[in-house]
Amino acid sequence: MTIPQSPPVKGEHPLENLADKKIKARRWYHDKLLVTGAIIVGIALFLAAFGEAIAPYDPTVPVGPPSVPPSTTYWFGTDTSGLDVFSRVISAPRIDVTLAVSAAVLSGILGTFIGLMAGFYRGVFSGFIMRVSDVLQAFPVFILAMVLVALSGRNLTNLIFALTFLYTPIFIRLTRAEVLTQRERAYVEAARAAGNSDLKIAIKHVLPNSLTPSLIQLSVTVGFGILLTAGLSFVGAGVRPPNPEWGLMIANSAPQLVLGEWWTSLFPGIAVSLTVVGFAALSNAIERRVATS
Amino acid sequence: MGRYVLKRVGIGLLQAIGITVVVFFVIRALPADPVARLVGFNSSPEVYAQAQASLGLDASVWSQFTTYVSGLVRGDLGVSWVTGSSILGELRSALPITLQLITLAFALALLVSVPVGIATAKRPGGKLDKTVFGYGLFAGAQPEFWWGLLFIFFFYYTLGIAPAPLGQYAPGVTPPPEITGMSLVDSLITGNIAAFTDAAWHLWLPVMTLAFIVSGPIIKMTRQSMSRVLGSEFILYQQASGIPANKVARSTIRASLPPVLTLAGILFGFLLGGAVLIEQVFAFNGLGSYSVRAVLNLDYPAIQGTVLIITIVSLGVYLVLDLLLAVIDPRVKN
Repeated sequence: MTIPQSPPVKGEHPLENLADKKIKARRWYHDKLLVTGAIIVGIALFLAAFGEAIAPYDPTVPVGPPSVPPSTTYWFGTDTSGLDVFSRVISAPRIDVTLAVSAAVLSGILGTFIGLMAGFYRGVFSGFIMRVSDVLQAFPVFILAMVLVALSGRNLTNLIFALTFLYTPIFIRLTRAEVLTQRERAYVEAARAAGNSDLKIAIKHVLPNSLTPSLIQLSVTVGFGILLTAGLSFVGAGVRPPNPEWGLMIANSAPQLVLGEWWTSLFPGIAVSLTVVGFAALSNAIERRVATS
Repeated sequence: MGRYVLKRVGIGLLQAIGITVVVFFVIRALPADPVARLVGFNSSPEVYAQAQASLGLDASVWSQFTTYVSGLVRGDLGVSWVTGSSILGELRSALPITLQLITLAFALALLVSVPVGIATAKRPGGKLDKTVFGYGLFAGAQPEFWWGLLFIFFFYYTLGIAPAPLGQYAPGVTPPPEITGMSLVDSLITGNIAAFTDAAWHLWLPVMTLAFIVSGPIIKMTRQSMSRVLGSEFILYQQASGIPANKVARSTIRASLPPVLTLAGILFGFLLGGAVLIEQVFAFNGLGSYSVRAVLNLDYPAIQGTVLIITIVSLGVYLVLDLLLAVIDPRVKN
């Protein structure tokens, strides 16, 4: 599930400051959170590119008898159709991760730009944008996503568009908040005094200084995207079978779980769970390091 | 206070109207074909046209909209294209199921996570704090449907201490008449103890699953808010003045409540949609399952109805929350 991010409150507690200094003093590879996150994210990205190529079996074709428990031939067993669970689990990032990364990057770019404009040029338009994103954020993401995807057609492009649309407000809000503090800084006044146009100041000077919150948010958003994709596929409003996709695999094996066939849903679930935690950990670690530097 | 309430209600109403209008036009602008879904893709043009006319989809979008709005004004949400029954009636029985589920999950989550959050804030960097940090990071975003399935496997299949995930009551139990629509309340009102215990028996696992997922962020926020207040000057001043520890603790908790409440409200609104997957897993016929059916069947009136109800309930929750905040922190009003 996706949880709205709260703005970090840093350095207001004396002990927290102390802990932060300790973190700063350590080299990055001693930061367990950062390393864990980076490794998981690295593996996820690697599998998104090469998962299907290194899979022992074709993930969309039955390769053995149905419902075989994990063995040396089928590491994660086979499902009710005789598909190899291991091959499917490592092929799924091609869809899940690619989709979530694309949506996160697109909404990051779009939201940062709109947020910059809304923060820099305050006016009727800015107010309107903020109200719209308020309303969007107040509404349950899952149901909106379901409506958007199911009604525009269940394919990858539409999934990416729907996710982008839903995640853009987060970036608008974050960037706008940062821009509002940045635009009062002396360097903005200096740039203006030097005769720069508003647009140039916004893009050349304020934008680079307001990017940090969005960059931190990016990784978490990828995690949310994976979760949402899996959830949508689980209820039948996302990726179409027989594509290897984690949520779909869990949905297909749910009836068998109650009968004791645990392997078909356990492994894809662990994959979703770990990947999402990995992206969240990376975000969290970067945030801590940025806050201390 | 009166003016503040009025202003908040006004904004909420405008938002509700905005969402209603946007949803109406957006679902008609998307390239789905509900008529073909109903009559089949290979139907003859006559059958297709007839179905289109019976759904009212042959009229212009604008006249469809005016028909819809004039129905809304009379409290009529229309009729489902799939079941043929009144949307209002269907929502009337679906909503309480979801409300009961998420309210219980919420109460459980708050009951556990607020004390834990406070405890971790008192000893930052301690063992509990570290464990909880890991849990918060972990549970903040998890596939709840998978955890639900995992719990079912563990508690039902392996241990046998939970019922099969087949709905709100066991097949042999006669459910109480629908009064409020909440299984626990209805069975209590009618004095049907057998139904009550059975309802509770079928509720504990989904409630626990949801609570497990939402506790992470609540603990995190409580800890953050508590440690901020603990480090603030007015607490230091209270301590320095020799005010007894339990009194200091009281004002600390009061001062750290607002962000926690805000998050709680957001999470509650979120759960209205988030319960979708849990309801699917446990076969509860709540608002979540209803919305999935509505969307997959391209049942436009049902989609509009669901969205409207969710909007109203979540705006209501935000409103109550804002009022609570205004009571705790009088500065909010200005």
